Amino acid sequence: MKSSASANSKSPFKFRIPTAENLVPIRLDIEIDGQRFKDAFTWNPTDPDSEVVVFAKRTVKDLKLPPAFITQIAQSIQSQLTEFRSFEGQDMYTGEKIITIKLDLRVNNTLIRDQFLWDLNNYESDPEEFSRTFCKDLGIEDPEVGPAIAVAIREQLYEIAVQNVVSARESRLSKKGRRGFEHVSASKTGGASVDLMKLFGHRSSAVRKRKDWDIYEPIVDLLSNEEVDALEAKEERAAR
Amino acid sequence: MDTSQRELSDRRVPDEPELDLYTIPSHSSWFSWDEIHETEKSALKEFFDGSSISRTPRIYKEYRDFIINKYREEPSSRLTFTEIRKSLVGDVNLLHKVFIFLETWGLINFAATSDGNDSEEVVDGDSPTIKIEEGVPNGIRVGAMPNSVKPISAPPVVEDSSIVNGSGFKSPPLTSYSDVFTDLLKLKILVCGNCGQSCGSRYHQCAKDGYLSCENCFNDKNFGEQRLLEDFESKTKEFIEDSVDTGAVWTEAETLLLLESFLKHGDDWELVAQNVKTKTKLDCILKLVELPFGDFVLRSEPQRNEASGLNNNVTSEKESRLSPSNNQEIAGSEDQDINEDKDEENQGPPKRQCTASVPDTSSSLMKQVALISSMVGPHIMAAAATASVTALCDENLYPKEVFDDQDFFVSNGLCSAASTESNHEVERILDNDDSVPKEERPQPGDIMVEDKDDIPLILRIRAATATALGAAAAHAKLLADQEEREIEYLLAIMIETQMKKMQRKIKHFEDLEEIMEAEYPVIEEVEDKLLMERVSVLQSAFDLGISRWKDYPSVRS
Repeated sequence: MKSSASANSKSPFKFRIPTAENLVPIRLDIEIDGQRFKDAFTWNPTDPDSEVVVFAKRTVKDLKLPPAFITQIAQSIQSQLTEFRSFEGQDMYTGEKIITIKLDLRVNNTLIRDQFLWDLNNYESDPEEFSRTFCKDLGIEDPEVGPAIAVAIREQLYEIAVQNVVSARESRLSKKGRRGFEHVSASKTGGASVDLMKLFGHRSSAVRKRKDWDIYEPIVDLLSNEEVDALEAKEERAAR
Repeated sequence: MDTSQRELSDRRVPDEPELDLYTIPSHSSWFSWDEIHETEKSALKEFFDGSSISRTPRIYKEYRDFIINKYREEPSSRLTFTEIRKSLVGDVNLLHKVFIFLETWGLINFAATSDGNDSEEVVDGDSPTIKIEEGVPNGIRVGAMPNSVKPISAPPVVEDSSIVNGSGFKSPPLTSYSDVFTDLLKLKILVCGNCGQSCGSRYHQCAKDGYLSCENCFNDKNFGEQRLLEDFESKTKEFIEDSVDTGAVWTEAETLLLLESFLKHGDDWELVAQNVKTKTKLDCILKLVELPFGDFVLRSEPQRNEASGLNNNVTSEKESRLSPSNNQEIAGSEDQDINEDKDEENQGPPKRQCTASVPDTSSSLMKQVALISSMVGPHIMAAAATASVTALCDENLYPKEVFDDQDFFVSNGLCSAASTESNHEVERILDNDDSVPKEERPQPGDIMVEDKDDIPLILRIRAATATALGAAAAHAKLLADQEEREIEYLLAIMIETQMKKMQRKIKHFEDLEEIMEAEYPVIEEVEDKLLMERVSVLQSAFDLGISRWKDYPSVRS
């Protein structure tokens, strides 16, 4: 994996989640008869699809949900997997790209806000390992926080990977037509990516300016139950 | 973390002028601030294959140096990845890899006491420790004592808890790096700067640059030409160790044993120590001094048999500490005519360590006086002594007679420079052999005491006290003067600054005024011009014969 990553960054890669393990982030939000089931996890796309139904049955049994959920869960996972597979095999334009990943999520009582840089070409990156370190360093005890962070990172990477596929397709088209369009489309999609020359040029230091430390510092808040209830009510209202 | 693999290697951090000691494992000794080692290159290839502008050797070095420096700001606490990633620009996964690499090699977090998981354990294990600290539980004895009931002096709480817990390496939650490692460092670092071998129990340290020399090399004078003999201060390691370890705790039985053997053998400390068995010679002496009546015992003992046996013993005990000065004294007395003046001058009063072994009631007082005198210098001391003696003479007739006898001393020896003083001293020392060489001290009160043993004790003490007070006062006066000068100086600066500010303001106003003045004629001119224009307009209006023109303004308003 690594040799291909460092071989030639200019050559297009086939679509995948740009991490060590090609795991697809899956998010479920299903509501049946007033009962709501929300979850997020990762799925290995190479697993046989029969696993999906097994997983759905197991989940429903474990959480003592009504059986109606089984098909819903299986369908939701299946459709998300299908969407992912529709991109597989396509070229993914990456080039040199380091993006800023921003986290702003709440897991149970823990509120997390953070931002950091992520290299799309680093195919050794491991969101799960990152979130494990994160929780250990910050002393987060809630076991649900780590996976949630990892899924959040994967979702952002997934989104950007999809964008890259699109931009790769556009650039291929534009090469046939007029030249010079390539650059525009590449920079257009790289909205979140950072200016590499500015950050890693000879003049700049790899040590961040002190005033920026706060921006890139993770913020973790533990909310009380009342605050969580209030927040949930607010989110509910916003959703309607 | 394997402590057995620990190797102490001192590294000079380029930014910091002084030598800092950090602990890194021996297998990481390849590390150098100035270059990137092959180990680093092979473990973190991506930085060195030129695949990206975001991964270059320069950036790797910046990452590495920053992380290590950050850790060394506080080596006792564990540096976490989350802490450093906010300060470094770059892919978090790459940063994590560098971080893990440095941590695996022990370049960071090596001396950190515990990681996240362990700290919880420490907190958990905390409550029993606190309970223990409230008092030693019955039946638990600390240390191996022959037949003791309980320790006389309560052992230090920290030591206690660690022994009880049976985890000597685990430090209590609130410790700093120096708490945990100072002793370790002290014991391990002592490597002779000349022969490279570790110093034994004794070593000599150069006061100038901390150069260490072991006993052998010191005796052979192998310590480099630029270091003078006088700069060396010799130290005994056992001194520290013993008082910390075994010397700290004395059981009743041991104390009893000590007293018995002391009464039997007197000041033959070798025998005393043999009798006590569990303690060293030095411990015995220290303990005896510590005892409430110890001072008295030690004082009365030598006076009784009048010999300087104790002194010799004590001297030999402390010889290691004082050896440079002793050596010099011996040398000085051998060829006194040529060298003594110079020698004595070289080791002027401030350098002198006061170690009074004078078997005298006023010995501790003398110590203090000597200490104070070393702070202010011989001249002031001499003046203070003269003044105090004069005051005493005024007070009473008897002292006058006493002091009159040695007036020449006060006037000559004290008011002149220290060298002459010491001349007298050395002569005296050579005259009466029984006086201990160390007694010589460029200290006026002492001289009088040494010289005239028939001066009553109280008088001596009073003279010494007055001298000390006088000297202290002089010192205080000096300090106060200096402070005053400082204040005056600062005040002057303040006033000057204020003046400058005012002047600037005035200048500013003047400038403004000038501008205004320049503006004024222009405005006047414009006014004139406007007036002229108006007149001409009116004129032309009249000429044209528009009669109703005048009414417009009124209509409008």
